[in-house]
Amino acid sequence: MSEVMLDVRDLSGGYEPVQIFQHVDLQVSAAESIGIFGPNGHGKTTLLRTLSGLIDPWQGDIFFDGERMNREGRRGSRKWRNFNYDAVTRRRMDPKKVARAGLIHVQQGNLLFPELTVTETLSIAVSAASGRRGWSVAEVQQLFPRVAERRDHKIRFLSGGERQMVSIAAGLIAAPRMLILDEPTLGLSPKIRQELCGAILEIRKTGLPIILIDQDVAFLEQIIDTLYLFDHGRISGRMSRDEMPDHETLMVMLFGERH
Amino acid sequence: MDPITLISIIKGGLILGALYALMATGLSLVWTTLGIFNFAHGAFIALGAYVAWQFSSADALGWPMLPAVLLTCAVMFLVGVILHFLLVKPFERRSDVVLIAVITTLAGSTILENGLLLIWGPRSKQIEPLTRGEVDLAGLHLTTAEILLLVLVLAILLGIGMFLRYSRPGRSMRAVSQNREAAQLLGLDVPKLYAIAFGLSALTAGLAGIFLGTIRFMHPAMGSEPLMKALVVVIFGGVARFSSPIYAAFIIGLLEAFSTYIFGVYWAPAVLFVTMIVVLLVKPEGLFGKYQRTL
Repeated sequence: MSEVMLDVRDLSGGYEPVQIFQHVDLQVSAAESIGIFGPNGHGKTTLLRTLSGLIDPWQGDIFFDGERMNREGRRGSRKWRNFNYDAVTRRRMDPKKVARAGLIHVQQGNLLFPELTVTETLSIAVSAASGRRGWSVAEVQQLFPRVAERRDHKIRFLSGGERQMVSIAAGLIAAPRMLILDEPTLGLSPKIRQELCGAILEIRKTGLPIILIDQDVAFLEQIIDTLYLFDHGRISGRMSRDEMPDHETLMVMLFGERH
Repeated sequence: MDPITLISIIKGGLILGALYALMATGLSLVWTTLGIFNFAHGAFIALGAYVAWQFSSADALGWPMLPAVLLTCAVMFLVGVILHFLLVKPFERRSDVVLIAVITTLAGSTILENGLLLIWGPRSKQIEPLTRGEVDLAGLHLTTAEILLLVLVLAILLGIGMFLRYSRPGRSMRAVSQNREAAQLLGLDVPKLYAIAFGLSALTAGLAGIFLGTIRFMHPAMGSEPLMKALVVVIFGGVARFSSPIYAAFIIGLLEAFSTYIFGVYWAPAVLFVTMIVVLLVKPEGLFGKYQRTL
């Protein structure tokens, strides 16, 4: 196993005052892709939003490529939280730092920038990469022919699948060293879904490690090396691709016989 | 109404409209990107006028106009960035930032205006006009300063529009205004872009102050009445596009000029507000508005 790229240690967090996940330990190596599988509403997305710095973690540490992404120590105490949190204490994480380190998060159902055209959106990703080497615009257009076709359209006129493609394309341009995909195929028609899955497989083949959340075990199996089961805000199981059972068995493992 | 009167009313309306457009653009720039109304915008207008006076007036430093204006722009940008840091930034992540920002920017406005009073005193001042000259066009009397004002304001607005559309920081600012989270996840420096937006807004306010200082007498509260008008323009026109407050500004300017001629100075604001109320009844998002807050 090669060196650990993303190292999450004892991470807890949520939306004040509700704690959503607790004591998550997660190690992803540079050559590995992982999947997270679990029921809706149990905190998968919240965990990923914490990893990318959108939400402040309550405790625990996140290291990416050996570099600490969060400020040391715990979050401010309950006493301080009653004041203006940002004025009294400092945020423990900065999403810009995480993104520039190369951990790029493609959000679930990302609406992107509704009034910008596809070309403008991609050019923003180019400036966000600010010199670090990501994919070129030509390369992502080759990967997603639909994106190239629709380049002069505003994002709000795109279909859900096209928007997801632009979203992933922008993420690829922003110089990722690890890509987080949060349910990229959610609510898409079978045809578009297939196209998107094929593209994600292509991305995986370039050697870019991916953290993938999806509800489709067959699709997960194609992309990932290790699967984590996630329910009730905890990682409840870990299995390699070869140990992965089919969808039915997984559901039974998570919910028991009657689900 | 004879044609000469008509044309001079239109001329007056266009000049008012140009000034309102400049102020409203600054206001809507901050409203669309940061999502707050900056009530210190009026104080920025006054500050710009006073700083320019300090640089250019024969009673003060007495520099030529061009370096004075450019330096004023730089000072105003800096003031905007600093005030953003002090008044808005500590509350930016709160969901109730709109309300808090009303209070903090009002406070900033009061402090700035009284600071101006403290430094420059209560005596009315006036900036030397940019040029002295007159043109007679078929009976219509125009000063070159008026022509210059119209041309300059249009050029500045065009410049800001181009900046937002074609430059990378401009595009990034639009992106942040449309989806802050997505912009953060791509690695854009959101705090920096907010600071630039605030600084740019202060810069346009300063320019508006300079123009205002050449055609009216300056006093520390000179910005509050234009701020009110700029607010009306932004609400009246909506902020769906960069250009919508600009169109609205010229409509309001012309409306004000005509209603002043027809109903008199005292009733002109009433006509303005009645028009605004009627427009908002029919189109709550403003004349050119859509149901969203974008740039």
